[in-house]
Amino acid sequence: MQSGSESRRGRRLRLAAIAAGAGLVLAFPAGMADPYMLTVGIGILNYAVLATAWNFVGGFIGYISLGHGALAGLGAYATGLLVTAAGLPSFVALFVATAIVAAIAVPIGAAALRVRGASFVIVSIALVLILLLVFQSWASLTGGSVGLVVPRPFPALHRPEHHRVFFYLFAGLLAVALLVWWIIDRSRFGLGLKAIREDEDKSEALGIPTFKFKLAVFVVSAVFSALGGGLYALWFGDLDPVFQFSVLGGSTMVLMALLGGVRHLFGPLLGALVVGSALEYFKLEYGDTPLHLVATGLLLGVVVMVTPDGVLPALSSLSRRWFGPRQASIREVTAAALLDSRRRGADDPGDGR
Amino acid sequence: MVSAALVVQSLVLGVLLGGLYALLAAGLTLYFGVMRVVMVAHSAFLIVAAYLAWYFHLRTGLDPLLSLPITVPLFFAAGVAMQRLLLARLHPATRTMMSVLLTFSVAVVIEGALGTLFTGSQRRIQLAYSGASLELLGARVAVVKLIAFALAAAAMLALYLVMTRSRFGQALRATIQHPEAARLVGIPTDRVVGYGFGLGLATAAIGGTALALDSTIYPSLHWRWIGPLMAIIVVGGLGSVLGTAIAAMVLGMAMSLLQIPLGTTWAQTVFYLALFATLAVRPQGFFGGRLAKRF
Repeated sequence: MQSGSESRRGRRLRLAAIAAGAGLVLAFPAGMADPYMLTVGIGILNYAVLATAWNFVGGFIGYISLGHGALAGLGAYATGLLVTAAGLPSFVALFVATAIVAAIAVPIGAAALRVRGASFVIVSIALVLILLLVFQSWASLTGGSVGLVVPRPFPALHRPEHHRVFFYLFAGLLAVALLVWWIIDRSRFGLGLKAIREDEDKSEALGIPTFKFKLAVFVVSAVFSALGGGLYALWFGDLDPVFQFSVLGGSTMVLMALLGGVRHLFGPLLGALVVGSALEYFKLEYGDTPLHLVATGLLLGVVVMVTPDGVLPALSSLSRRWFGPRQASIREVTAAALLDSRRRGADDPGDGR
Repeated sequence: MVSAALVVQSLVLGVLLGGLYALLAAGLTLYFGVMRVVMVAHSAFLIVAAYLAWYFHLRTGLDPLLSLPITVPLFFAAGVAMQRLLLARLHPATRTMMSVLLTFSVAVVIEGALGTLFTGSQRRIQLAYSGASLELLGARVAVVKLIAFALAAAAMLALYLVMTRSRFGQALRATIQHPEAARLVGIPTDRVVGYGFGLGLATAAIGGTALALDSTIYPSLHWRWIGPLMAIIVVGGLGSVLGTAIAAMVLGMAMSLLQIPLGTTWAQTVFYLALFATLAVRPQGFFGGRLAKRF
């Protein structure tokens, strides 16, 4: 009974926190008179969408992809080209482009997901580099290094209103992505995916169709990446292969998700908030000098070295130790952490285990 | 029709390029062998060495090859330090994946630092023999390319001799094959792994000097190298020195030949096409053994 009311209180607290967060996001454009802050907000929301999209693969099956920037870039270019070359209405183009990227993601995923670990990361880097090469060289279609100008979907709107509309569009997309992640997280499908993350060979032996599951979640991830990229194309209106197909762009998504915590629904969002603000600050501080590269690289290095599991898990274990009840039930531990704690042996009591 | 002379010319250039690729891929294979890490920053260190050679030449006016006695020990030490201070501290169970991210961040920091120190402008070493070329099998080959190849070949040979003939090489190979057994027979594996890492980074010093001889260098150049190198080690099979050397030669020649009909930009896609073809046909690489399958 005690634990029942405890968990109900926890759920109510969490719902209240989510509602408050959503309220803050929705009120943000009204509170910000400065259009610059609004564009920063849109940038962060865009990062949050992409990081959450990345987390479908990185969080559920534990495959680290540095190539998700390429999927978003494909979505952006497909949307832009469907508007400019094929003359489709903007938002029809966005959805057609997403469908195209999803179709392309099937063979890409089928090839890339055949290998694990390091090889997968290598393949994901190669994907970005090959697309950069193609989109820079195929100038007759993509505009090459000159860039591709995408007409604005609402020509009647003034710039601040335009930003405001897109702020809500990005927020809506983020909400959908989070909702889908949450649903998968609680489903049988999600359970299978997490089994793959912990031990792929064992889960295959237990009858999980690992390859199909991995491919399915990769395509879902590609869909949200493409939607994020396409929406960016419609908002920003100018695409350059160097920025759309950059490993650095893909690695910022990884950085955000890792920083927040890949096992948590809101991990990537939190990471996007922190890293997005940091990147914006670096841009202000260092401008176009290469020092922003140094800052970004150092940030990524520190996160990998210090908190590879993310800030959220660290915080939640802290709060559990201070406020929560001693829990006795199963909780999510990585196979790696388990192995490590066993190796350390009994001399380390651990965090309330 | 394409003339035979042009084909021969391309083949020779392909071999020369393949040699440099093979040396660098050997370094990557060494890292992977000793620690199961993928070192994305390898090509960034390559560019650092090229910049050091360029700067050395600029300051002293001496031949850039003379910078090698400075850069090789420096890079060896940097490799040991990097292994000790960064990579050895990663969680063993997730090390392979996290190493990619960590070394990627190192590469980005290096690129930014090079851009800050030397600006983004393109640099090139001008030497007395920069424009000279030789007749080789009916093909005209620049002398600097030959020197670069000779340097790469000598380094590969030295690496081979160290690995097979020296006591340290034996310990290194034992550590690669079975770390725990190596520790049981008394090999200080931690130290050996560190030195192995230093050896790998030393190949980047030699490769970078060779690169500086005949290429224009700029801070973001490492992206043009990392893709082909990564493709080579996957096609060859992670962990196989011979496999990666063969893959480097074959792909180097294929790219060189494809430049005739396709031009330089599109010819680069051969690396990525080979990568994806390998994944579809033989995901563990063509020469990879048991090791490659698991990573």
